[in-house]
Amino acid sequence: MTSDSRIWRQLKKNRAGLAGLLIVAVFFLLAAGVWTGILGQDWSDAGGGRWEPPGKEFWFGTNLLGQDIFQRSIYSVRTAFEVGMVVSIFSTVLGAVLGSLAGWYSDSWIDHAILWLKGVLDSIPFYLFVAAVAYALQGQDWAMHIAMIATFWTTTGRLVRAEVMKIKSREFVLSARAIGLPDLLILSRHVLPNTLHILLIQTTIAFVAAIKTEVILSFLGLGVHDGVSWGLMLAESTQEVLAGHFSNFLAASLMLFALLMGFNLFSDALQDAYDPKQAAI
Amino acid sequence: MRYALSKLAHGLFLVLGVTLISFILMVWFGPDQTYTLIGKNANPQQIAEVRHELGYDQPFARRYVDYVAQLFTLNLGASNSSGEPVSRILKRTVPITLALMLPGFILGNLLGIALGLTAAQHRGRWTDHLINGFSVTGMSLSFLVIIILLQVLLSTPYGLNLFPVRGWQVDDPGSYLKYVTVPTLSLILVTLGYNTRFYRAVFVDESGKDHIRTARACGASTATILWKHVLKNSLVPVLTRIMFSIPLIVISGSLLLESYFGIPGIGKATFDAITSGDQPVLKAVVGLTAVAFVLIQILTDLLYRLVDPRIS
Repeated sequence: MTSDSRIWRQLKKNRAGLAGLLIVAVFFLLAAGVWTGILGQDWSDAGGGRWEPPGKEFWFGTNLLGQDIFQRSIYSVRTAFEVGMVVSIFSTVLGAVLGSLAGWYSDSWIDHAILWLKGVLDSIPFYLFVAAVAYALQGQDWAMHIAMIATFWTTTGRLVRAEVMKIKSREFVLSARAIGLPDLLILSRHVLPNTLHILLIQTTIAFVAAIKTEVILSFLGLGVHDGVSWGLMLAESTQEVLAGHFSNFLAASLMLFALLMGFNLFSDALQDAYDPKQAAI
Repeated sequence: MRYALSKLAHGLFLVLGVTLISFILMVWFGPDQTYTLIGKNANPQQIAEVRHELGYDQPFARRYVDYVAQLFTLNLGASNSSGEPVSRILKRTVPITLALMLPGFILGNLLGIALGLTAAQHRGRWTDHLINGFSVTGMSLSFLVIIILLQVLLSTPYGLNLFPVRGWQVDDPGSYLKYVTVPTLSLILVTLGYNTRFYRAVFVDESGKDHIRTARACGASTATILWKHVLKNSLVPVLTRIMFSIPLIVISGSLLLESYFGIPGIGKATFDAITSGDQPVLKAVVGLTAVAFVLIQILTDLLYRLVDPRIS
């Protein structure tokens, strides 16, 4: 296990990773601004004319209904963080729990059942599954989140299972068992903390995947219903770009790209710090 | 023999699981079709008749068993919305989807392998950093953004205006190229970042092994090392990735591309079936995808033995 201070030193040396972290921090501040009611509160006001160009009053112009695209793209930061945080945290926790159970009781019926569930979920085409869940739970605001959590945990589960199988034959676990500590205590106190690096990296990857999936689902009409998101703005823009109105498209896609790029750079830096063998030193 | 049997049993359990989950989601909780099929002002008796025909009055277990039995006897039935037999829908849509997805799928993987090899060869130098920066950029772009951007740049008067905006009227190689180019480029761009990243990791891992160092020490040229030793010895993970992404790319990837460009392939047919609750179509797509997955797993196992005699 690599020590935390060494990881932090590695991270600080990685300029791209730090830039990524900075980008994510800026977006988080924007999201916090929306949560606290300082920013983007007029996203649904139709105060302008149809498709006004960017100007002093409407920085990024207006959409078909005369809504301020700047306000909408800022409010969407909050939507992105809500989707990203809910999905990445819950799917990583689920993956950690199921993966560590499968790894600890490897080759028992628990392991087989979890592997079977993972195999089944991996064999259903992703958008088809998400669309089916979103449709089955129609009207529920959380349908999209539940669908993503139900499928995103499998990668984390596989990685954690492999790591737990490695850790469980190490001496500190064997001695914990020898003094008669209960399984679940050893698992939660001594084994799972050693998989923290996997969980951290997987959380960043799931965050990116969740935001990207939201865009596709919102375009298909299965995503965000109340409120606004970059996915909804892009869905609106698919007709507008053919008529030469690019404000919606540019605002949503550039903000989306910046946030995803920030997360990916940070995620890469984390992976390099934990696994220097693969890094491009 | 025992191995083959256990593989088959494993595959059978997988198919049962997939059909169970898809049944629960798409049939049990799926949309109720009674009132789409029946006209206005139906009397209770007519409603009950339609519900009986659709099997809505049966218990859960009975409906699931019927569902699986129909799938295994390939009695796929007819679409509830159009009345067209499901087998004919598949015959009509699958070739279009393959024609749409294959060029992008193949090119995306070949380019990914080429870029991955190049990056691994120049590991740590500017070429590696450049390719890495390119992959991260690709991974940060949404599929939808790529599609809209390429459509504006290539198919509208605001860009080069070279290709049709949407649709699929293919009857000769020329028209095929016209309609397939923008979707293909989109598919390549959206997968290339992830592919390159994956293949680079595989090749870097292989390059660090002892036999590569020995080959280098013996004076083998860089090209020989790359093609003969690194690529050949990485074939197992490369094959795994390619094989297992086939069903996912074909269904999931085509779902978005076909709905966006209005292409009448299996992805669009599936999406339409989801939103209208057309159970016979969904049943066929999900069931056959699961069977395809199991077949691919068995086929991949056989391929492993072919490329690596140590596996048996």
